[in-house]
Amino acid sequence: MKLTLKIWRQDNAKSKGRFETYHLDNISPDCSFLEMLDILNEQLINKISHPVCFDNDCREGICGMCGLYINGRPHGNDDAVTTCQLHMRHFSDGDTITIEPWRAKPFPIIRDLVVDRSAFDKIIQEGGYISVSTGGVPDGNAIPIPKNKADEAMDSAACIGCGACVAACKNASAMLFVSAKVSQFALLPQGKPEAAKRVMAMVKKMDELGFGSCSNTYACEAECPKQIKRSNIARLNREFFKAKVVSEE
Amino acid sequence: MKLVKLTSITKKMALAAAGLFLLVFLLLHASINLCIIRDDGGLWYRNACHFMGTNYIVKVFEVILLAIVAVHIILAVIVTIENYMARPVRYAVSSKTKTHTGSKWMIWTGGLIACFLVLHCMNFYAVKIGLVEGKYTAKIDKVDAFFQQKAMKMQNGELNQKETEEMTAQLQAINSIPENKVDVKNKELVNLTKEEVFKYCGTDFEDYEPDFYTMANELFKKPIYTLIYLLVFVVLGYHLFHAINSLCQTLGCNHKKYNGAIETCALGYAVIVPLLFAVVPIYVMFIK
Repeated sequence: MKLTLKIWRQDNAKSKGRFETYHLDNISPDCSFLEMLDILNEQLINKISHPVCFDNDCREGICGMCGLYINGRPHGNDDAVTTCQLHMRHFSDGDTITIEPWRAKPFPIIRDLVVDRSAFDKIIQEGGYISVSTGGVPDGNAIPIPKNKADEAMDSAACIGCGACVAACKNASAMLFVSAKVSQFALLPQGKPEAAKRVMAMVKKMDELGFGSCSNTYACEAECPKQIKRSNIARLNREFFKAKVVSEE
Repeated sequence: MKLVKLTSITKKMALAAAGLFLLVFLLLHASINLCIIRDDGGLWYRNACHFMGTNYIVKVFEVILLAIVAVHIILAVIVTIENYMARPVRYAVSSKTKTHTGSKWMIWTGGLIACFLVLHCMNFYAVKIGLVEGKYTAKIDKVDAFFQQKAMKMQNGELNQKETEEMTAQLQAINSIPENKVDVKNKELVNLTKEEVFKYCGTDFEDYEPDFYTMANELFKKPIYTLIYLLVFVVLGYHLFHAINSLCQTLGCNHKKYNGAIETCALGYAVIVPLLFAVVPIYVMFIK
């Protein structure tokens, strides 16, 4: 495959970025998108140029590190996959591919296509956990949990925090991420004691960091590689309302 | 940076709750409007307007309604600005994600509806609160009672010469009142300008009300106004369809059992209610 790549290059958070154009030849349709960028970087290094910086780690779609805005879609033009799982067979010979970093105020660019997603960590630090009660490991069946609730909690917990929801949303809203994290605990008995405190603290932090609010376009759901559902956002809203109105927190 | 120190969810919930109130109000408004097409010379419509204009509970609701409209508009603008600020650098390639397009247009469709509301208020509400002059109506029995009261005063010699002359002039005027100003069936003087009210009923007569029936009929006879009116209600339907789905989600109503029903209700409301509004100008323009 012959490809033309338009890639966002930016030296650091403060410098002005620009698009640079690269031409690649002989790209196999079977290679992954990141492997294609690896080939480009190899060529750039051989020319004593700076390689294009991009985040990646597991390359199995489970770590949430990779994340590129490709031709107007987070993680590219395949559904329910991360960038590392996107393959070049989804493009055609002669295509021009525009690659941009996630664009959101709380995700400042570090370099090129790498953004700082520690805003998500800060939200998690506010309550995305269950306080540990030390002691022996409880018996697996000691706390009865209905199967459907366990499944729902597991589906919500599948969020890998890649930030595609923020990247896709026209408001750069993190509601799908926060709602998944709130839901995975709210659905289980272990999460109940801290539910009110958790939801209020996480929403407060989300707002402080400058994420937008949810306009219910559901772009986040459409682009989430782990197919986190919009019903989580409705649950977040319910949990927040309940916490504000009923709780003594 | 947040323009208002409320959480994003609180703002969205307040926006949705205000919208929910407005949905109920629209139904009430549509049902009153439909009285115009009743073939009773405007009896029901004028009675409904009289009730809405004089009932104290309605007056309290009117203040609440204005406050809620203001909250809805102000919050929508604030949320839109904050959302815009959340992405200071836009993408070079516009989004190719398949989404509910209604949401992207909410602020624009809402803005258009707000502009129409200004025009609508200038035409009707401003007349009601006395900012703009319109057409007025007065019950004949009230005008009669007013005259009798004055006549008693005249007999008792309580009126000075100027007042007596004025009353004589009014009596002459009302005896020669044009036919189109008198609704014999409903016993009302209608289609009066303020000058005519004073001419026929006396300068100190206060029991007149805006004649919204005549004003509405006159407006709907104008093709340009009717066209704008119909276009705005198409836009309103588009706004409402997303609004109802969205407010349910924002208020936490998302359940796989009921999501289908919510979407059907949203579509039904977004089509039927604007149609109920649209029926009136179409009837006045083409059938009446």
